[in-house]
Amino acid sequence: MLKAENLTKRYGRVQALAGFSLEVAAGEIVGLVGHNGAGKTTFIETATGLIRPDGGRVTVNGQDPARVRGITGVCPQQIGLYLSTTVREHLRLFGGLAGLRRTALRAEIDDLAESLKLTSFMDRPVGVLSGGQQRRTQAAVALINRPSLLLMDEPTAGADPETRQALLDVVKQRASEGAAVIYTTHYLPELTELAATIAVARAGAVIARGSAADLLDGLPGEVLVTFADAEVHVSTTDPTGTLLEILRDAGRPPIAVDLRKPSLDDLYRSLTVSYAH
Amino acid sequence: MLTESLRRIGVLVRHNVLVRLRDPGQMISYIVLPIILMTVFKPLYEKAVQGANYQIISGPLVMFSIFTLAIVGNSILIEREWRTWDQLRVSRAHRAELLLGKTLPIMAILITQQLVVVLFGCALTGIPLPDTIGYVVPAILIWGVMLLAIGAALATIVRSRGEMGMVSDLGTMMVSAFGGALLPVSLMPSWARHVAPFSPGYWGVDMFQAALRGQPAHLVRPALVCLAIALVAGTFATYRLAHGFGRGRLM
Repeated sequence: MLKAENLTKRYGRVQALAGFSLEVAAGEIVGLVGHNGAGKTTFIETATGLIRPDGGRVTVNGQDPARVRGITGVCPQQIGLYLSTTVREHLRLFGGLAGLRRTALRAEIDDLAESLKLTSFMDRPVGVLSGGQQRRTQAAVALINRPSLLLMDEPTAGADPETRQALLDVVKQRASEGAAVIYTTHYLPELTELAATIAVARAGAVIARGSAADLLDGLPGEVLVTFADAEVHVSTTDPTGTLLEILRDAGRPPIAVDLRKPSLDDLYRSLTVSYAH
Repeated sequence: MLTESLRRIGVLVRHNVLVRLRDPGQMISYIVLPIILMTVFKPLYEKAVQGANYQIISGPLVMFSIFTLAIVGNSILIEREWRTWDQLRVSRAHRAELLLGKTLPIMAILITQQLVVVLFGCALTGIPLPDTIGYVVPAILIWGVMLLAIGAALATIVRSRGEMGMVSDLGTMMVSAFGGALLPVSLMPSWARHVAPFSPGYWGVDMFQAALRGQPAHLVRPALVCLAIALVAGTFATYRLAHGFGRGRLM
């Protein structure tokens, strides 16, 4: 569905993309993670055709993104809504531009209002809505055309739990219906819930990509053993073996034992820490 | 294909009309103010100027229609402030459709404002408009296109509504003053008379006076100058709008 090969983009002295490559298939959710400035948003803008890369190539269904805009839905990091018009008027505008008419448009609006929990404020101007309500409205705008490619750039930033859950449910549903999804976030548990393939971006390039299980494999977990007079804390790729070794060496029973498996947060830190420093 | 395109333009026009109607303040004031000014200044112009009736209409008409640059600019600027332009650019609508959908309602506002001012002015001065309507309407259209192009170009350059207001207010006063919209060029000091042709207002006043007098021969030159200005500003604005406002470059 989407294929980006070796993209480069420079803003003045800042190299935003430096050989960024990523592929997303229909029905797949790719969670794109990375520090601020890693190139996630620039990649999203390139994939929508809003900006042209300096080098490399990006295609959607084998075509230039600018030529197939109708099949893409974009939920930008920063809210982009008309503050003086209502949620319903937004959906009429973007649904109308997507070619939806009368009954089909009404049905799609009702469906989104239901699934994103917009019903109670459909006829209120966006400017008076809360941040979470605006986030859901933004998502509805991105989804109204039933996109085959859904690009969501930190859609839950600053959102309340209700908004977050509603968005995640809709994203999962759309992916199950065949949409390819790129989802950038700093909230890594969301990617577990979405069962997303993970791509880690650093300094304008994707440095690791795979399922959470694949990427976590080989990453050290932690063993914390508490004795009456001491505490032993070890990072290890073999927690069980290490625990047995600690107990054998100590020769006395522990008060508490804690085995912690590596998490996505650990993965994120391990892959991005050198850049952060 | 054409039907789909027209539908999308229709959807955009409807939405932009809605956005304009939610914020009608500027439009109302730029229609009411010239009417007040014409009524109050009529006796003064009648004493000071030969052919006062044409100056009474064309002066305030040009000045307050230039003020509407702020309406044009703000209607485009909100797309930047609210970050909605990129949302439109990723929709199925083509560049030309986006531009038409955005500019047609603004053009309608400009035409409405000018028509109301001309009709009121003719009623006030007794100029028989029906005789010259065939010249006045094209003049309004040409002047409107020029203002639209300049306003759109400004909106892609300025960085905030405050800056837009400043450029629009200062620009209007300078263009109007040096163009002969406030004081007829014949009454201006000698140095200002030399500067006048560099102001678009000069050509606007000239064009509207020729149109109201029903003098097609005198209409052509100012109309061509206005169209040339519109072409330059319009090309610049179209380029900027079609390519987006850029990340961090302007806002």
